[in-house]
Amino acid sequence: MNRNLLLALAFAALPLAAQTESQWVADQSTLIYHMSHPMHEVDGTSHAARGKGLCHAGQCDFLIAVPVKSFDSGDTNRDLHMIEATRGAQFPMIVVRAHFPQSQTAFSTVSADLEVQFAGQTAHYTNVPFQRTAQGNEVRITGTIPLTCSDFKIDRPSFLTAPIKNEIPVRVDMTWHAQ
Amino acid sequence: MDWKAARPVFRNAVFLFFFLIPSLTPAENPATLAGAVTDAAGKAVPNATVTARNNATGQSALTRTNATGAYSFANLPPGGYTVSVAADGFAAKDATVTLTASGPQTLDLTLTASAAQELPNAPTLGDLGFSQQQMQADPKLQAMLDKHTEMLKIHQRLGLITAIPMAAALITGPMAKAKGHNGQTITEPTNANLDFHAALGGATTVLYFTTASFAVFAPKIPDTHKHGAIRVHEALAFIHGPGMILTPILGAMAYNQENNGQKVHGLASAHGPVAVATAIAYGAAIVAVSWPIHIKFWEKQ
Repeated sequence: MNRNLLLALAFAALPLAAQTESQWVADQSTLIYHMSHPMHEVDGTSHAARGKGLCHAGQCDFLIAVPVKSFDSGDTNRDLHMIEATRGAQFPMIVVRAHFPQSQTAFSTVSADLEVQFAGQTAHYTNVPFQRTAQGNEVRITGTIPLTCSDFKIDRPSFLTAPIKNEIPVRVDMTWHAQ
Repeated sequence: MDWKAARPVFRNAVFLFFFLIPSLTPAENPATLAGAVTDAAGKAVPNATVTARNNATGQSALTRTNATGAYSFANLPPGGYTVSVAADGFAAKDATVTLTASGPQTLDLTLTASAAQELPNAPTLGDLGFSQQQMQADPKLQAMLDKHTEMLKIHQRLGLITAIPMAAALITGPMAKAKGHNGQTITEPTNANLDFHAALGGATTVLYFTTASFAVFAPKIPDTHKHGAIRVHEALAFIHGPGMILTPILGAMAYNQENNGQKVHGLASAHGPVAVATAIAYGAAIVAVSWPIHIKFWEKQ
């Protein structure tokens, strides 16, 4: 009887353990957007993203922000054109809010619902998969956010009169540590 | 210089000048738009960023709501606009409106809370430690970037168009001397071939300097350190720029000598080589900014 009671208490305690409040801070970040042009395949990289996350009551909310200006594609004029096209001076930050159940933090793949604010517009993406790798006290998260120009009403940047493709996927590689 | 013979060149230059300039000076009649931004409870949302984007031209104006949530735009060109509102803690919202010059128009907008903000204790943008300068909208810079992009787009288009008469002038240069009307090789140039070559040279010169002006007079964006292919592109301008000044001068000298029945001699004999060097530098400048074409080609192999 006592053994059964102990087992029952142990199972009851499992969800509580999983719902422990935890705070996360991004240590390192690499965000890379990719754009395709008939004559160019271009990657623009930023290491300036910052992020914080909170897991509480079975849910996790993560906030990631990166200045639009911080992306470097290897050419000044192209970067300036991208800032102009994405209205980066008016809306200088790309803000991503990720929401997912806390239980997923134990899995190698996390499916998150994302709200992305970019170029003065907001777009939602559901069940975006991110790979999670634990390395000691740190957790590395990698994945791709499938942004498109049309989601944010961005007039597609053009070069030599030809516009880029609508898709501008952003690859995310961030390392987080618990506070 | 034989002005009678040079008339076609001058005529082409004048035509191109008046053909290009009117497209750069649009006429505008101002319209006014005003309104208020509130949350779902009807409470004013101060300091929200409001953008009015002209659907036809892509030009945009930006303002912020005041303490009562009010905003206004004056002197907007009439037309269809997308008005976007963004405020921290709210989902961005946009609406379309058609503005006319008849009188002030009103557009009120209601924002709903951002999905993530509905959860308690969720991190906010202020928690991330970005400086105010990094997060603050800069409408002046956006206007500068808009102008910069617009001028460089025209620069690119005109640059490609310029390559056409430039290539044709290179091709017709030897023909101006080598062939007669009936196809036989002659030692003296024909007036028709010379005039045609001179007209192409004139058109190239006018187009070239018009093209260059759109890059030279494009607004300089502050705090920008140039790197990448654009530096090669600009460096090559130090070759084809002087080349495009010298080539027509030497061409005019050669033209005069030909028309005076002389064989081209002295400095004028450098017209051809200078023109070829200029065209090569010009072509290289275009290729410089298109360099990844080749990378992509080899990667595919």
